Parts: sequence; C-alpha cells; structure tokens
Amino acid sequence: MKRSFIVLVAGLAAGGLAHFGWYAARANRLPDTGGLEVQMAWMKEELNLSDQQFSEIKTIHEESSPRLLALSAQVARMRAEYAAFEHERATTGQINFIEFAQFVSQRRKVDLECFHWTQRLAVETSRSLTAIQQEHYRKLLAPILKSAPSLSIN
Amino acid sequence: MTPEPDPLDRLLDRLRDFPEPPGNLKADVRYQIARRSERPAKPGLLGGFDAVFGRPSFAIVFVAACVFLGMFLAEVRLERLNAERGTKIAQSYLRLIDPLMEAKAGKIATPQQ
Repeated sequence: MKRSFIVLVAGLAAGGLAHFGWYAARANRLPDTGGLEVQMAWMKEELNLSDQQFSEIKTIHEESSPRLLALSAQVARMRAEYAAFEHERATTGQINFIEFAQFVSQRRKVDLECFHWTQRLAVETSRSLTAIQQEHYRKLLAPILKSAPSLSIN
Repeated sequence: MTPEPDPLDRLLDRLRDFPEPPGNLKADVRYQIARRSERPAKPGLLGGFDAVFGRPSFAIVFVAACVFLGMFLAEVRLERLNAERGTKIAQSYLRLIDPLMEAKAGKIATPQQ
C-alpha cells in the first residue's frame, strides 16, 4: 500500500513539475507586447508577410511612427487641457471663450493631422499587401475604421 | 417365487470390500477446511489499486503519463496566453497608428464650437 501511495504521489509531483516548468520556460520566451519591433514581428506573423513585404512595411512604419508618437503626446496634452476647461466651467461656471475657441481650433488641426497620418500609413501599408492580406489588415484595423468611417485604406 | 435381484444390492455388496479409511482422515478434512477458510477474500477497491500500482511497469507508465498531461495542460495555458498577447499587441498597434484611438475610447470627442 505504501509503495502504491509513493507511486501516486511521485506521478502527481512529476506532472506538477512538468506543467510549471514547461509553462515558465515557454512563457519567459514570449517577448513584451510593446514597441514597434514587437508589433512588426506580430504583423509579419499575422499577415504572413514575405521578407520583402516585411521590409517595406517596416520602413513605412519606422518613417511614420516618430510623427505619430508626437501627435499621440499632443492629443494626450490636449485631453488634459480639455479636462481643465471642463473643470473650470464646472467650478466657476465661467469659461474664457477666446482661449477655448483657440483650443478647439488647435484640436481640430491636430485631429485632422492624426487622420491624415493614419490614412497615409494604412494606405501605404496596404499597397504592399496582396488582396487576401489587405482583407486581413482591414479586419485588424476594424476598430479604427469603425470609429472613422471616412478613413479608407485603399 | 424369488424376486429379481436388485442391481443396487450388488453395488452395496461391493462397498463392503472397500478398505477402511485412514485413521487421520477426520483430522485431515478439518485441517483442509480450516486452511481454505484462512484464504484471503477477493481483493476490494484498495486491494485492486495496490495490485495495479504495485507493478513497476504500471508505475513507470503512470509517472510518464502525469508528466505528459502536465506539459499538455501547460501548452493549453500558453495558447491562451499567446492569444491574449496577440490582442494586446493589436491594441498597441492601433494606438500607435491612430493617436486619436484613446480619445475615442475615452469618449472625449472634439468639442464643438
């Protein structure tokens, strides 16, 4: 009886060790989810890109990403400004309309520029893809296309 | 008139010719009965478990099966982790190419003049 118990415990312990050991070893090999390099590697796998397509698309993204990141920072700053306007309006019941009008005008310019860069990047990327890959890429961009119906990737 | 001889009588007559049983027959019979009653009963659930796990070949197969099952379950978890990771990368990619993505997600539209 004792021997059977030892075999049972040894089996369960070996199974547990194999599970956690295998999981830890494989999970540690997965790269981080941020950064352009990781995103490009993911796109290559997701869209099944050839080396040439990958090279072209990577170049397009590397050229666009500095401006897109700067715009992203600008959008974040403007969101904070908008929150400050809203706070002022809620607490004092007043608002500086000239400042607010300037803010709205600037915000529209930024929004337009964001739209332009997104469209440009999506169109240039799409040009390097086959019809099937384009369809897949469109599905990946579905959240953007849904929120901006005027954006086209063709 | 003499009755016909019964065949059973002949057999009974032959029985008288059998040798006397050995003197220890009674003791032998009792011994055999006692010995058989001492025999262990059929193995129960625990007995069966012990008998199966006691075999070295089964023990090896059992441990190996546990290892493979552990690795298989780890692969299932990794598959799920990879899917989550893919979703996160997709989201970060969308945020990169569309700076307005977070603003849209946060439902902060461009204020109207």
